[in-house]
Order: sequence, then C-alpha cells, then structure tokens
Amino acid sequence: MNNIADDLCRGYKARADARALFLAAAFFLLLTAMAIGLCIGASGMEFREVIASLLKDTGRGHSIIWMLRLPRIVMAMLVGFGMGLAGAVFQAILRNPLASPFTLGVGSAAGFGAVSVILVFGGGFQTWYIACGAFLFSLISAALILAVAKMKRASSETMILTGIAQMFLFSSLTSLLQYMGTMEQVHEVVFWFFGSLSKAGWREIGLAAAMILLPFPALLWRAWDFNLLSSGDESALALGVNVKRLRMSAVVAASLVTAGGICFTGVIGFVGLVAPHITRMVIGNDHQFLLPASGLVGALIVVFADTLGRTVWAPQVIPIGIVTSFIGVPFFFYLLMKRTREYW
Amino acid sequence: MTVRDALGRNIEVSLPIQRIVALNSDVLEVLRTLKAEDRVVGVFSEMVRERGFWGALVERPKVGSWRDPDLEAIASLKPDIVIAYSRNPGPLLEKKMALFGIQVLRLDLYKVETLEQEVQVLGQLLGREKEAALFCDWHRRHIEMIREKIDGALTRPSVYIESYTDYHAAGPGSGGHEMCLLAGGRNIAAGLSIPYPRVTPEWVVSRNPEVIVKAAAYGNGYALKDRAPFNRRRDAILHRPAWRHIAAVASGQVHVMDSAIWTGPRAIIGIAYMVRWIHPALFPDLNPEALHREYLETFQGVSYRGAFVSDGLREAGR
Repeated sequence: MNNIADDLCRGYKARADARALFLAAAFFLLLTAMAIGLCIGASGMEFREVIASLLKDTGRGHSIIWMLRLPRIVMAMLVGFGMGLAGAVFQAILRNPLASPFTLGVGSAAGFGAVSVILVFGGGFQTWYIACGAFLFSLISAALILAVAKMKRASSETMILTGIAQMFLFSSLTSLLQYMGTMEQVHEVVFWFFGSLSKAGWREIGLAAAMILLPFPALLWRAWDFNLLSSGDESALALGVNVKRLRMSAVVAASLVTAGGICFTGVIGFVGLVAPHITRMVIGNDHQFLLPASGLVGALIVVFADTLGRTVWAPQVIPIGIVTSFIGVPFFFYLLMKRTREYW
Repeated sequence: MTVRDALGRNIEVSLPIQRIVALNSDVLEVLRTLKAEDRVVGVFSEMVRERGFWGALVERPKVGSWRDPDLEAIASLKPDIVIAYSRNPGPLLEKKMALFGIQVLRLDLYKVETLEQEVQVLGQLLGREKEAALFCDWHRRHIEMIREKIDGALTRPSVYIESYTDYHAAGPGSGGHEMCLLAGGRNIAAGLSIPYPRVTPEWVVSRNPEVIVKAAAYGNGYALKDRAPFNRRRDAILHRPAWRHIAAVASGQVHVMDSAIWTGPRAIIGIAYMVRWIHPALFPDLNPEALHREYLETFQGVSYRGAFVSDGLREAGR
C-alpha cells in the first residue's frame, strides 16, 4: 500500500517539476517579449539609446520610454494575465470549455458600462469614469448571475445560460446606445471595442494591477478546490468542498479581474478563452499550475500581439483585439490538431 | 435631364422636382443655400440634434437615420427625388425606390474639390442656377485667394490632423487631409495608406508636428454658448503623456474644430481657420469668424452664433 502511495507521490512530483519548468519558461519568454517590445517603436531609437533612456533622464527619449512604451507593455502584460487567469477560473467553476469572461456576459456588461459613460459624459478624456462604468456593470452582471444561481442551486448550466442571456442583453443595449450616439461618441465606442493600449498611463496601471493581482493569491489558494470540482459537483461535495460558496466567491473575484483587465483598454476578449486552453493542453488540469500559467500565457500573447500590431504595418497600428485573434487562433488550432489525448 | 452623380454615373432625372427627401446635413444645407428648402418633404432623423440651426426644417417629417433610413417612410412621402451620399445608404435604396417610381441622386457634398460642381448640378435640377452661381462664386473666390497665397508660401509646416477618435490620424483620402493640403500644411500622415489610420502616440512624438488640429463633434456647435468643450479637449491633448516634446504642444499650436466646419459645405470656414493656424503671417487679415458669419447670414438665412473652435493659446481671452 505504502509503495503505491510512494509511487503516486513520486509521479506527481515529477509532473509538478515539469509544470514548474513550464511556468519558468513562460515567465522567461514573457520577459523576453517585454524586452523586445520595449526596444521597438516608431521613433526608431537604437538599443543603446533605449538602455540609456531607461536609466537616466535623456529628455525626449526618457519620456518616450517611461511614459509611452513601458506603460503600454506593462498594461499589455497585466491585461493578458488578467484575461488568462479569469478565463481559467471561469472554465474551472463552470466545468465548461466554452467559458470565458465574455461567455458569462461580464465582458459585455463592462462594455455597456463603458459605452454608457462615453455617451453621458461626451467621451474622449474621462478614462477614469469609463473605467468606473465598466467595473460597476461587470459587478452588476456578476451579481445577476449569482442571484439567478442562488435561486437555482448554482449549477454550472444555469450560470452559463444566465451569462449568455446577459451577453446578448448587454450587447443589444450597447448597440442601441451606439445607434443613438453622435458621430464622435460612436467613434469613441469603436476605439474601445477594438481594444487599445495607447491610453494606458501609470495611474491606470496602478488600479488595473490592484484589480487583477489582489484576487490572484485568493484564487490560487482555492486551486485544490478547483481541482476537486473538475471531477463533478457531487464528488467535490463528498470531499468537503462547499461548491456553492466556491462558485460564488470565484465569480466575484474573476469579475473583478476581468473588469481590471478591460476597463482601461477596451475589449481584448479572446485571450480569456484561448490562453487557458493552450496552457491546459501543455501542462494539464492541475489548477495550482494552470492558474498562474494561464495568466502568463495570456500576458505573453497580448504583449507579443501588441508589439506585432504596432510594427508589421508601422506607423499604422492594427488594433490589439484583432491581432490577438490572428495569432491566438492558428496556434490554438495547431495544438488542437497535434494533441493525442483528450485534455478536457 | 442628364446629370453626373458622385459615383461618376450619368443619370437621367425627370423634372420638375417639387418634393425632395434630404438624407444628410450637407445636402440639406445646400438646399437652403439654393433657397429650395420649401421643397424638402422629408429629412434624416439625426438633424433634430441641430435644433436651432435648422429652424423650421426641424418640423419636417423624419425618415430615419441617414445611414439606414426607413424606406416605407420615404415612399409614403411620395417624393420626386431622394438625395443621399454616394456610399450610404447602400444600393438597395435605388432598387426599392424604383418600385415606387422615386428617383435617387447621390451627391458627396462634403468633398471640397467637387462641392461647386455638385452645387451647380443641384441648381440646374431645381431651376436655381442663380443661387448656385452666387454660392459657387463666393466659394471659389475664397478658395482661390487662399490657394494663391499658399502657392507663394516658402514653408509647409508639418501638421498632425486627428480625426474624431483619439490617435486616429487623417490620412490620404480623408476630408481632413484635403483641408490640410489646401491650408498649406504638410500632413505627417500623408504617406500612410488608409484614410483614418490608428497611430501610436510615440509616432506623433517622433514626427514632431508644428501644428495639431483635432476634429470634434459635440452634436451641435451652433447651440454652444462658449468654447469650453473645445478648450477642454485641447487641454487633454496638451497633457497627453510625453507630448510636451512635440513642437506644436510646446508652442501652444493645438486646436480643436467642430464637425460643422470640418468638411461639408462649410469646409471653407474650417480651411480658413487652419490657414490662420498654419500660416498666421501670410493671412493677417483673414477672419474665419467673419467669413462664417457672412456664410450663415447670406446663404443660410440664420444669424451667427455658437462655438466652433478652441481658443488659441496665444490669443486666449480674446
């Protein structure tokens, strides 16, 4: 008996080592992608200039690095991390591969909140109001899901159906507002819906970081519960997990992460679906590793996509929401075709 | 009568035209210039936002959005002709209107280069040649005056034209680009390949434009009491991260312009403002505000009021 347990432990440790290695590799790749992104830009600064501007005040170059490039890259990293993390959490608690911040309507609700603010205040420069609107409505949508779930025993089907219904409701409301808006307002909304990192500043980054990174340890702490949940509500319940409470608290935490991810940059939604899948295909379903790794893969995709989006057709920028789909989907297909076992 | 429309097609229009549905503000404005507003039996719904400017025209029956009008509402008004832009709404408009024997004319009166020609076409169709000639002469006189002086200018200051959405430049093919060229500016986005390209803030900093002009649409510049909304938008541009390194920001040459004078029949007013900003020394006597007043009182029959641009920083409080 002991031998079998030892073997299991050894097997788990070996797999855990491999997963830790993946985490380290993803982290290293992310740092590399960020460094590359920092060195590339429209002003054509040379590598030495970039390093010098990074370290001391060189005037224009220093401003470009510290006020334009670095905030952009850090925000890309945060947004990608948040989307990947939120997607992994939603997929875990709903036990559904289609779940993502957008499937649950949280993204659409945040979008509606942002658009309402743009229409009420005239749009343009009130980034903070827009962020508050996005956050408020993502919370409202989470509350709505929770309310319905509470009445109907918080089954994953109920939550997904509520989410999809919400998604359509908020999309329609957004379209209605857009239809009624003036030309300027419509343009502002379009800017938001393609996703953009151009308006990211350090203050925005501070708030986004708080919203994305603060719930992370709490979610990681419940990683084993998510693991147990993947074998079904009944099994998890039998093993002592309070499924209902887990689901409720995770929805709130993941909504906060989602709102933090999109309230300053607009819709960069696809990453939330694909980053957890890519990660799961490589390292499996242990949420201790899956949660941080999904975040890292999400961050890697968005940072890479942003650098690509502003260089391939420079100086024209391809909106980040478009590029993430372009690089994420083919890679996702590749893994889907290559996999030999059912991973979900 | 055969006329050439904005798509370059020769189309046969049967006369007389007594009942018109106007699907956009540009054509409605030109109809008023031609003193043919009493023939307008239907208008696009968005025009109610410019209450005040349109006077009694606001009471005319609405036919829905300029982009996607209610075809049944148009048909029920039994117009002789519907006048729309070349691309919006789509070709379905002609097909459906043909069922009711209603003609469709497509004119792009927002383009400065073809404005006079299209006004003349409309003048001929409506028997308002005299009014059309009056406007075209006025327009041509000012355009030529500006062109002549600009041709003699020694420099072409670099200009960043930002369209309604932040960080979207006005590239070749856009109205803003055309206006910039006419005003003697060198558009930093002239070499880009689409009309409204998204650019990075860093690119604008690296191009270091001497003048920045931004388009804004508050729905109704005519109803504004002061320039505060434009000034707020200008200040937001002045405070964009790292933009203090741009020559235009350092010298306060950042301006915001209302959509009413940005392209369209009043583009000449917008061009006059741009000329004042880009080549102030060349045109010491040019007064865009007086030009606007003259246009509104002479051709539109309304008094001058409202706010259409931000205050110049060096002439603030003037």
